[in-house]
Amino acid sequence: MILQGRNLSFSYGDETIFRQFNFSIQEGERVVIKGESGGGKSTLLRLIFGFETPDEGEILYNGDPLEGPVLREFRTQCAWLPQDLNLGRGTVADVIRFPFTFKQSVSKPPDEEQILKLFEDLGLAPESISKSFSDLSTGQRQRVGIALCILLDKPILLLDEPTSALDEESKQKAADHLLGTEHKTVISISHDPFWIDRCSRIMDLNQT
Amino acid sequence: MEIIQLSWFQLAIGFIILIIPGAILWWYNTGLNKKMVVACIRMTLQLLFVGYYLEYLFEYDNTWLNLAWIMVMVIVADFATIDRSGLQTTRSLVFPIFGATFIGIILINLFFLEIVIQLPKFLEAQYAIPITGMVLGNCLRSNVIGINDFYYNLKENKERYQFYLASGATRQEALYPFFQQALQKSANPTLAAMATIGLVSLPGMMTGQILSGSSPMTAIQYQIMIMLAIFSGTILSVFLAILFCNRTVFYENDMLDDSIFKE
Repeated sequence: MILQGRNLSFSYGDETIFRQFNFSIQEGERVVIKGESGGGKSTLLRLIFGFETPDEGEILYNGDPLEGPVLREFRTQCAWLPQDLNLGRGTVADVIRFPFTFKQSVSKPPDEEQILKLFEDLGLAPESISKSFSDLSTGQRQRVGIALCILLDKPILLLDEPTSALDEESKQKAADHLLGTEHKTVISISHDPFWIDRCSRIMDLNQT
Repeated sequence: MEIIQLSWFQLAIGFIILIIPGAILWWYNTGLNKKMVVACIRMTLQLLFVGYYLEYLFEYDNTWLNLAWIMVMVIVADFATIDRSGLQTTRSLVFPIFGATFIGIILINLFFLEIVIQLPKFLEAQYAIPITGMVLGNCLRSNVIGINDFYYNLKENKERYQFYLASGATRQEALYPFFQQALQKSANPTLAAMATIGLVSLPGMMTGQILSGSSPMTAIQYQIMIMLAIFSGTILSVFLAILFCNRTVFYENDMLDDSIFKE
């Protein structure tokens, strides 16, 4: 088991999001989290990343509590696609290259040819590489985020609505890239039947 | 050249000029007249107090006493920096900002006073106190800009910071773009002042030296030195202040302690 949540309880103020919630994810699984709006799907990803601390319970990564050095090690193994990607005012090229400057980066910086090939697959115009990231539409920013997740080539992907702004052709190619490699563990949130069909398991928060 | 001594009566006449800004502020209903009066009274009383204190300091000119006065100046600057940055006066900020400002000031003082000017006496009051005051005043302004920008930018763009963490960045790596922007914003006013000095403005220290009888060339040499001290001091203190605070205002999971914000 790569990730396991044990007896998790979490509240925002008076609003209880999780009460004694348990989950487990095996290495190489493609899990899609389903649930009502406000039901804790994004919160679960934030708990996994350690951006929120559970009121009770714990999350284990390879059997160890996900905190301190284990949490940092876990993050080095991840790529994340949040729902709305805000990465400042630099150009798209700057935004893509910055995570490859991290000391713990497990993959090599991509060359421009690789980036442009991915842009083509995801329906992004080649000239967007020199545009300011903050000038892109929400959909274009999401495509850049997907490109970055693919280029980072991390073993664990956490994706929040990865196909919500993609057309049918781009969806297919994004799914091939993100879900096509067997050793990757993918934890995603999606309402898209196409994406859900490509995943190996549904974690329905309504039924917990 | 002898300086013309001002009598208290002459100085009092100087206050009459406040009628003009006071009338403009009152006419446009800015609500700043009371503030103006309070600020003028505070400025006068504070400077009178410092004037008497400096006369005492210069007379005794004791290194430990001078160092103690520098400490007092840094402590006042420390609390003013936190307050004007829109942050709470918490232990997690007071001690790191004090340490950063004190180290910055001492390093700059030691370099300029002891290596460049080569004072005959260590931390001689006539040089150490005014130069510290000028550098510290500018450090305060830059620290306010830099610290405010760093933490409020981080608060408003925490998704960006979290995205970098989630992509494997260490805390320092994820904070790099925020550090970069805070340094740019805090350095810009001093760089702009350096670029126009002499052309647009005659700085206070140089004007003061010329008024008290120094040759313009001597005054300019000191002004160049003080500008170098101010620029180096401000960058060093902003850098150290953010660096030191970052050791105390983050939780173990790398999330910022939101209780530092006033708003």
